[in-house]
Amino acid sequence: MTASPASTPAAAQADFLAACEREPIRIPGAIQPHGALILLARPDLRVLQASANFGVVVGPDAEGSCGRPIAELRWGSDTFCRELAQWCEGPEPLYLRSHRLGQQAFTVSAHRSPQGIVVEFEPADDRVPPPAALYPMLRRFLERTERLADVGELSDRVAEQVAGLTGFNRVMVYRFDEDWNGTVIAERGDGVLPTYLDLRFPAFDIPAQARELYRLNRLRLIPTADYQPVPIVPAHCPVDGAPLDMSFAALRSVSPVHLEYMRNMGTVASMSISIVVDDRLWGLISCHHAAERHIDPQLRAACDFLGRLVAQQIDARERAAEDKERLRLKQVETELVTHLARAPTFQSGLVERASHWLGLVNADGAAVITDGIALTAGSTPPIDAILRLAEWMHERRLDQLYATDCLSAQWTEGAAFTDVASGVVAVPISRIHASFIMWFRPEIIRTVTWGGDPAAKVSAETGRLHPRASFASWTEQVRGRSRPWREAERLSAVDFRTAAVDFVLKRAEERAQLTEELQRSNRELEAFSYSISHDLRAPFRHIAGYAELLAEEEPELKHISRHYLKGISHAALSAGQLVDDLLHFSQLGRADLRISRIDMRKVADEVRRSLDLESQERPISWDIGPLPDCWGDPSLVRQALFNLAENAVKYTRKQPETRIRITGIERSADVLYAVEDNGIGFDMAYASKLFQVFQRLHRPEDYEGTGIGLALTRRIVERHGGTIEARGTVGQGATFSFSLPRRPEA
Amino acid sequence: MATLRPILLVEDNPADIDLTLAALKKTNLANAVIVVRDGVEALDYIFREGVFADREPGPPAVVLLDLKLPKVDGLEVLERVKAHPKYRTIPIVMLTSSREESDVVRSYEFGVNSFVVKPVDFKAFFESIRDLGVFWAVINEPLPGGF
Repeated sequence: MTASPASTPAAAQADFLAACEREPIRIPGAIQPHGALILLARPDLRVLQASANFGVVVGPDAEGSCGRPIAELRWGSDTFCRELAQWCEGPEPLYLRSHRLGQQAFTVSAHRSPQGIVVEFEPADDRVPPPAALYPMLRRFLERTERLADVGELSDRVAEQVAGLTGFNRVMVYRFDEDWNGTVIAERGDGVLPTYLDLRFPAFDIPAQARELYRLNRLRLIPTADYQPVPIVPAHCPVDGAPLDMSFAALRSVSPVHLEYMRNMGTVASMSISIVVDDRLWGLISCHHAAERHIDPQLRAACDFLGRLVAQQIDARERAAEDKERLRLKQVETELVTHLARAPTFQSGLVERASHWLGLVNADGAAVITDGIALTAGSTPPIDAILRLAEWMHERRLDQLYATDCLSAQWTEGAAFTDVASGVVAVPISRIHASFIMWFRPEIIRTVTWGGDPAAKVSAETGRLHPRASFASWTEQVRGRSRPWREAERLSAVDFRTAAVDFVLKRAEERAQLTEELQRSNRELEAFSYSISHDLRAPFRHIAGYAELLAEEEPELKHISRHYLKGISHAALSAGQLVDDLLHFSQLGRADLRISRIDMRKVADEVRRSLDLESQERPISWDIGPLPDCWGDPSLVRQALFNLAENAVKYTRKQPETRIRITGIERSADVLYAVEDNGIGFDMAYASKLFQVFQRLHRPEDYEGTGIGLALTRRIVERHGGTIEARGTVGQGATFSFSLPRRPEA
Repeated sequence: MATLRPILLVEDNPADIDLTLAALKKTNLANAVIVVRDGVEALDYIFREGVFADREPGPPAVVLLDLKLPKVDGLEVLERVKAHPKYRTIPIVMLTSSREESDVVRSYEFGVNSFVVKPVDFKAFFESIRDLGVFWAVINEPLPGGF
C-alpha cells in the first residue's frame, strides 16, 4: 500500500475509490498524442479549439487555425471540407473517411457534441485491409458463430477473431455480474502476456463513471500507456466556457489511475470494445499488448461492429437460455405440484420431494414455515434461526417475493449463517401469519470454481493496482454473498408461491367443507338422540307402567301370569336403561369439557362410599393408595373412575373375599390411575372388545349391564387426551388403568 | 281453603295421560284434574281464552306440563306464562321424557318450579307424581290476592 493518511487499509481503499469516482474522465482537457483533435463551430465550421499538437500532426499550415472556418485554411482539402459539411447536414452520427491532408494520409473521424463538431485526425496505416476485405471476414464470423448456443463459446470465438484482426498479445472477454464485479470468461493470446482466464475482479476496478463512458463510447484505444497528454487550446470552449466534453472522442486522454493499472499489469497498449446488451454494459472485449500498438480507426470500426454483432448474439442467446431455464423450472414446478396434490400435507409433500423443492430455484437449502413450525431440506440455518428470520420478514410485510444474495447486509443475525444462507429467496404463503417458503444459497467463495491457481497467474506483478490485489479485494467484497438469483429463478419462486397459496387455500376450503359436513351430521345426530330419548323412551315407560297397573288391578293373577307381567316390566326397564345409557354416551361426545384440577383421592372415596351402599350384603376390602391430583372435567372423571370401580365390584361378586385396589402415579406428561380387582378376570384375547359399545363378555343373567359402561369410560378418557387399557387373566382378576394428561393450571 | 283448585295436566300422549292420572289417583288428592292436549289449549286454559274463555275463574293449583307438545311446545307455554305479569306465580312442573341438558337449562331460565324426567320405572314415576302433587297442590299455599 502507498502512504495514506487513512488509519486502516480498508479506509485507505475507500478514500482511493472515492477519488477514482471523482476523476474528471470526460473532460481531461487533453488527448493522447497519436492523433490531433479540433472542435468546429456550427454551421460555419470555424475552428474553436485544437489540440496543441495539431500543427505537428497535420502540418505547419495548421498552426494558428483557431477562430477561422476550415474552408479558409490551407490544410483543409476541398474534398474534406465539402464532405464534412455534407455530413453535418445529414443524419449519420459518425463521420469516418480517409483524406490526404497536406503531405500525409489521415483517417478522419467526426462526431457531434453539444459544443460543436469534434473532428479527430489519425495518420492512416496502409497495412490495414480495405473495408471491402473486412466484410467477408465479418460474414464468416457470423456463419461460424450463429449456431453456437453457449455464450462462453461465442465469447471465445470473438476473442479469437479480435486477436486475429488486431494482433494484440492477449484478447479477453470480460463479463460483469449484477454488482459490476467482472470475470474473464474467454481469452485468446499468443503467450507473451500471462493468462487471466477465470480471474475475477471487483466492481471498483472499473468505476461507475468509467462504465458509463464504456456504455456510451463503445471503443477506446491506448496505443501506449507511456504517453505525454497533449492539452486542448484554449482550455475552455468559447461556446459555453466549459472544458471540452470528450465523452465520444477516440483520442481522449485517459485517467492516470488507468495508466498505472495498465503498467502494473505489464501492458503497454490496450484497446477495449464494449458489449452493450439491452442498453446495459454486459461486458468488454479487452485487448492488451506488451509493446506500443496502433490500431487504425477503420479497423477499430470493424472491431466495434464485431462488438455490436456479438452483443446481439449474446442478447438472443441469453434470452433463449433464460426461456429454456424458465421452461425447465416450470417442469420442476409441475412435477412438484402434482406430488403435493397427493401428499397428506403440503409441508410433508415438499420434504418428500426435496430435490424438486430445491431445484425450483436452484438452491442448496429450503424451509417451509407454517404455524411456527419449520420443516427443512438441504443445507439451512438452524430451525430457531429460520423462525426468527420468518418473523423478521413477517414484520417487513413481504408481498410477493424477497430475494437477496447478501442476507447479512439486511438481517444482521444472518452474518452467523453465511456458510449456508448468504442468499435467500422467500415467498409468503399467508397474509396473516409468518408463513413462508424459503430457499437458501451458500456464500459464493465456497462455490467459485477456478481455472487454476489465480495467485500463480499474476506472480510477477507488483503495485497497488493489479489483478492480484484486485482478487484479494474481490474475495473481501463477495464475503457473505451468494451466487445471485436469476430472473427465471425469481419468477419460479413467485409462480410456485401462487400454486402453494392455491393449494393451501384449497386444503383450507376442503377442511372448512368437512367441518361443515361434520357439524351438520353432528346436528343430525343430536336431533336423532334427542328424539330417541323422548320417543323411544316413552313407550318403554308406558309398557312398564301398564304392566305395573295391571298387576295392581288384578291381585288374583295366576302365578305364571304374574311371572309374565314381571318379564314385561323387566324388559321395558332394561330397554329404558339402554336408551338412557346410549343418550349419555352420545352426549359425552358433544358436551364441552370443563377442565379443572381434581382431587382424585376425594373422588375415589366418594365412589367407594356410593358403591359400598349398593353392595351392603358383602364386605369389600378397599385399598385406595395415595392418589395424585389430575386435570379434567370433574363430573366426567368421576364417572370414569366410578364405572371402573363399579365393574370391579360387579365382577368380584362371586369371590369369597373381595379386594379392590385403586392406585395412581404421576408421570412426566400424565397421571396414571389403575383399578385392580380379584374378580373373574377375562381372557386377554377379548381385551380389545372390552371397550366397544354393546360388547359383553358375560351372559346378562350372570352380570347385568347394557355393555356401554366401558365404552363410555374410554370415551371420557380419550376426550381428555388420555389412554385406557385393560389387563386380566381368567379367574385371576383384572386391572383397568387410564392416564390423563397434565395441564398447566387454568 | 275454599274449593280445591284443579291440577292442569298438559299432555298429548294418551298413554302418559293414563299413567299420570293413575298415579295422581293413587295419591288420593281431592283436586280435580283438567287435561288439555296441546300448548294452545294449555295457554287458553291458563289465560281464560278461546274455548276456555268461559271457564270458572281462578288459577290451577299446579300445571304439569309435558315438554313435547303439538302446536305450541311446553317450553314456549312455560315462557309465556312465566313472562305474564299476572299468571307467572302459577307453579309449573315440567315433565319430560328426556334428560337433555339444554331443555333443563332453558326451563330453569324461564322460571320453571320443578323439572322432572319421567322415570321408566312406574314405581319411581308414581313417587315423583305423588311428591309433586302433595307439594304443589296441598302444601304450597297460593299467593294472597290471587285471581
